[in-house]
Amino acid sequence: MPREEYQVPTGASGAQRGATRDAHESRAQMSYLCGDCGGSVTLGKDALVACPHCAGRVLYKERTKRMVQFEAR
Amino acid sequence: MPLVDDGFEALLEPFYNGKKLTDPISTKEDKFQLLPAFLKVKGLVKQHIDSYNFFVEQEIKDIVRANRTIRSDVDSNFWLEFTDIRVDRPRRQDWKDAKSHTEVTPMECRLRDMTYAAPILVDIAYIRDKQRIVRKGVPLGRMPVMLRSSKCRLSGATNTKMEQMNECPLDPGGYFIINGTEKVILIQEQLSKNRVIVEADEKNNIISASVTSSTHERKSKTYVTLKKDRILLTHNVLVEGIPIVIILKALGGLSDYEIMQLVAGSDGRYQDEFLINFDEATKVGIHTQHQALEYIGARVKMGSRKGQFGPQVRRNHVEEGLDALANLVIAHVPIEGLDFYPKAIYVAMMTRKVLMASHNHKLVDDRDFVGNKRLELAGQLLSLLFEDLFKRFMVEVKMSIDKFLKKNNRAVPLDAVHMISNHANNIGIGINRAIQTGNWSVKRFNMNRAGVTHVLSRLSYIAAIGMMTRISSQFEKTRKVSGPRALQPSQWGMLCTSDTPEGEACGLVKNLALMTHITTNVDEEPVKRWIFTLDAGVEPIRNFSGAEMHREGSYIIHVNGTPFALTRYPKRFAHKFRTMRRRGWISPFVGININTHFSAVHIATDEGRICRPYIIVKNGQQKLKPEHLRLLQLGKATFDDFLNHGIVEYLDVNEENDALVTIYEDQITKSTTHLEIEPFTILGAVAGLIPFPHHNQSPRNTYQCAMGKQAIGAIAYNQFNRIDTLLYTLVYPQRPMVISKTIQLIGYDKLPAGQNATVVVMSYSGYDIEDALVLNKASVDRGFGRCQVFRKYTTELQKYPNGRRERIGDPLNEGEGKVKRRIAKHEALDDDGLAIVGYKINYGEAMVKKETPLDQTTTGIGMDRGPSEYRDSAVSYRIPDPAYIDKVMISQTEKDTTVIKVQTRQTRRPELGDKFSSRHGQKGVVGIIVDQEDLPFSDTGLNPDIIMNPHGFPSRMTVGKLLECLTGKASIIDGRPDYGFGDAFRSHPVEEMSQVLLDYGFSWEGKDYFTSGLTGEPLEAYIFNGPIYYQRLKHMVQDKMHSRSRGPRAILTRQPTEGRSRDGGLRLGEMERDCLIAYGASQLLLERLMISSDGTEIDICQQCGLFGYKGYCHTCKSTREVTKMTMPYAAKLLVQELISMNVGVRLQMEDEFPHPR
Repeated sequence: MPREEYQVPTGASGAQRGATRDAHESRAQMSYLCGDCGGSVTLGKDALVACPHCAGRVLYKERTKRMVQFEAR
Repeated sequence: MPLVDDGFEALLEPFYNGKKLTDPISTKEDKFQLLPAFLKVKGLVKQHIDSYNFFVEQEIKDIVRANRTIRSDVDSNFWLEFTDIRVDRPRRQDWKDAKSHTEVTPMECRLRDMTYAAPILVDIAYIRDKQRIVRKGVPLGRMPVMLRSSKCRLSGATNTKMEQMNECPLDPGGYFIINGTEKVILIQEQLSKNRVIVEADEKNNIISASVTSSTHERKSKTYVTLKKDRILLTHNVLVEGIPIVIILKALGGLSDYEIMQLVAGSDGRYQDEFLINFDEATKVGIHTQHQALEYIGARVKMGSRKGQFGPQVRRNHVEEGLDALANLVIAHVPIEGLDFYPKAIYVAMMTRKVLMASHNHKLVDDRDFVGNKRLELAGQLLSLLFEDLFKRFMVEVKMSIDKFLKKNNRAVPLDAVHMISNHANNIGIGINRAIQTGNWSVKRFNMNRAGVTHVLSRLSYIAAIGMMTRISSQFEKTRKVSGPRALQPSQWGMLCTSDTPEGEACGLVKNLALMTHITTNVDEEPVKRWIFTLDAGVEPIRNFSGAEMHREGSYIIHVNGTPFALTRYPKRFAHKFRTMRRRGWISPFVGININTHFSAVHIATDEGRICRPYIIVKNGQQKLKPEHLRLLQLGKATFDDFLNHGIVEYLDVNEENDALVTIYEDQITKSTTHLEIEPFTILGAVAGLIPFPHHNQSPRNTYQCAMGKQAIGAIAYNQFNRIDTLLYTLVYPQRPMVISKTIQLIGYDKLPAGQNATVVVMSYSGYDIEDALVLNKASVDRGFGRCQVFRKYTTELQKYPNGRRERIGDPLNEGEGKVKRRIAKHEALDDDGLAIVGYKINYGEAMVKKETPLDQTTTGIGMDRGPSEYRDSAVSYRIPDPAYIDKVMISQTEKDTTVIKVQTRQTRRPELGDKFSSRHGQKGVVGIIVDQEDLPFSDTGLNPDIIMNPHGFPSRMTVGKLLECLTGKASIIDGRPDYGFGDAFRSHPVEEMSQVLLDYGFSWEGKDYFTSGLTGEPLEAYIFNGPIYYQRLKHMVQDKMHSRSRGPRAILTRQPTEGRSRDGGLRLGEMERDCLIAYGASQLLLERLMISSDGTEIDICQQCGLFGYKGYCHTCKSTREVTKMTMPYAAKLLVQELISMNVGVRLQMEDEFPHPR
């Protein structure tokens, strides 16, 4: 019940979601950020976790591009 | 100010900024500036770092030098020598990775769950093919590096560099990072080693002098005991106590007269008392050294020297006795060339102390005296461990070399480097494991300590600092002696008077005061040389007989507790010694003190003594002059310069006894020797947060010390870069209105944990009883007390020996065609199976969709192949309240497994029941949150953030809180932050504050006119109000709230589980049960104990009284007498367990409502 309350209207998000899903359906590669140099790193599924630019081993996931709604309390 | 080390630049600034360079300087007001200068070089966390540096740079070399050669038993031509050892810079274990051109940072270790360690490198020389081969830089395992030590990358780093490394410049350092967790080696408190301590057992009338000898080889304890007029020497290696005269005869064959002189001198009282001991020797017929040695040798425990390798030489009693005396009894007094006289003097000294103590009970030593204690730091503990591991390593290398050489025809010549690298890792692994588990076991010393290390508490900045200054005592907590727990007068200025936990560990866990320093070892030899060259009248003790030693006016000079020289002019000697120390010729950490009771001068150079600096006063004039402070202000002088110029000096606790210290400059008299630098330094870093602590009742300060560590606030500048298991941060932390110099020094004003709340002291609404607080709803809306809670969920993708590995699976979808949706559980998952950063996550949702292979055991060879399926082992969110994904990190550990860390974030505003506290030990929970319009307001429109009930004051007597309120109010009204100082033991400017209030039209006592927000009428009294710094404590309702109607049960007992984390039930305990019984609420009892708990229906045979099953009794083979009853499952278990132990239990049934017969 509460989840329903704060969700973005389903019509828009559903379509958007569907779109992104299709693009990555094959689940080929994801993009991450390197913790050392800040560069973008694309990693395959079982690839070695390392940044190609600086060999940094700490990668972070990028923040979602989608709108996130917070409850203003 | 062009200072190089700008980590401390920030610390120094406020002092110099407040005061312009042109301002006049008075030594009285400004001498506190020595404090930041001191903290720049020593103090607080520096002792950990100093101790570690000492170990890594000197001690480790000494240890290797002491056991550097390996010789083979097989081939006498072979030898191997370690010529040098050093600890390199920290590196990654996988540093061969040529791609990586960055050096490892502590932050990387924290994130990647690595160990911040540096390789140990050795230089070796050995024989191969009859040639001497030298190899440099052979790796010998990895040594964990203490943060900010000389080996650390952070040492000497500027703020910019620190920032580049994602490190907080205010972070104290002094801890290790082992597998990603920060570990601290707490300071350990112990009774001093190699010192004679005289104790008295009043009950049994025993007086004994004991000494714990500690050398690199062994540790042993020797007692000289006076019991029923006889004096015996006892030691672990001796089967029984040996009469002291026999020992003294054995030690160098002294005559009876010499022994008497050595022990008693010419004092008739001691002679009379000691005389009887000669009879003890004659009774057993000991007259000569040979007889004495034989007597002792016969009483040496067999097998005590079992540890030795090689053929056991059968020795006679004399040799046995000689060996025991030379190497085991009082082992720290070395025997050079069979000269037993120094040891005889030592034993005689112990005997004399016992005799003196029996005459004058005041001469019994106080074990709780801080001067009799030593603090063991990280470096010392590590060196103990390293020495042990290194010796074991040497034995292992020797054994494998011997094994190799035993083979007659070898294909390749022996390569020692190979042998070394085979065993090298054991050293690093051993140290690593010890720090990680906290189990310090050194077999040689029979040392087996658990809980030496702790995880550094990062709850708040103060918690971390407080942990670094903590001292844990070796005394057991259970013993009911008040002595070790009580505040000792000698703790003054050395250990914090307020900061100790309540309850069990009260008084046993202590904290260092602000100016304390713990000494490291200073070489004895140069000091010994100085002793002879300083003063003409000093002669080696070896040259004297007992009569001369104990002559009136003769003083024995002891070096680290061992008699060394004799002087007739102790005062002159001590004076000259101190002068040389003040000039910098002798290390400033060498202590000297004169003990007139024992006619002794003690010089201490050992490690672990507590000391602190004082300003030197000479001829009624202090040495610190305004120009010195000016130089300090200009940055042209450091604390060490003052030390070398005889302006300040360090005194340890023993030397304090020789000093006459005054606190304030105007109290200096002709006889004063030292001046205190700042009185507030008797408090530690944690107690230093309290404003006006000298106006509070003392337990309140202790309470605050405990609570300051629980306050939510800023943890470090890098708090959002680190991923901690649990991290609390305050959304809008504020610097306290009223601060102290300690706060500025430790940087609490930069990493604060609290907010300045406008507090009105009055009663309101009745929801404020028992210390509950009334909160303003509008303030809460604006962010008062708002905090964020971060939680870490970490998982490693395991690899299995059969080549299978855990993987991250795809999230599951539902629906068809274009309108696919994630299933509810995978709502937050991205395509890569990890949670999406920024998404909300609810109870039960997966964050990492990890999958484990079902087949973990098969080898994969031939037909031995298991199923290729995977089992879901997702990391899911298990907290009732939702959170947001804050960060998702992917990395690789040193073992090359993928590690995934997910950080979640919750933002929490204060709610009913959340805990708050001021800085005066006044804690309270939120009782009600009131709309702003209902709160009282002043004529200026001022609204309270917090209403506090005035009943909190009379019994707590926290006057400091009132002063904080008043001072804070004055300083905001006048806009002068410099008014807001609440330092301990400084005159507080209450009059001035009141004048400021008056000038601005407020009442001088801080009370103002208020109007009730509920009725609109004026309140009938003037209300005390002003800003008070409030801390939000980590105890929050959300984390504790719990209820259950039905839920899980424990398997064994079928009773409801326990605790919130297991969704447990609420226990109706035995006391509550008693109440119900007394009240007669039988049905409620029945419900709580049976229906809501573990009531079970059970078949019972009335014939035999045993349990039946499904209406049938297996014992009687019938169903006739079997009946049903309800009983707790636990009771049924009890019966069965008793039966299993061969205790027959039979239940006799009786009708509840018997039939009328």
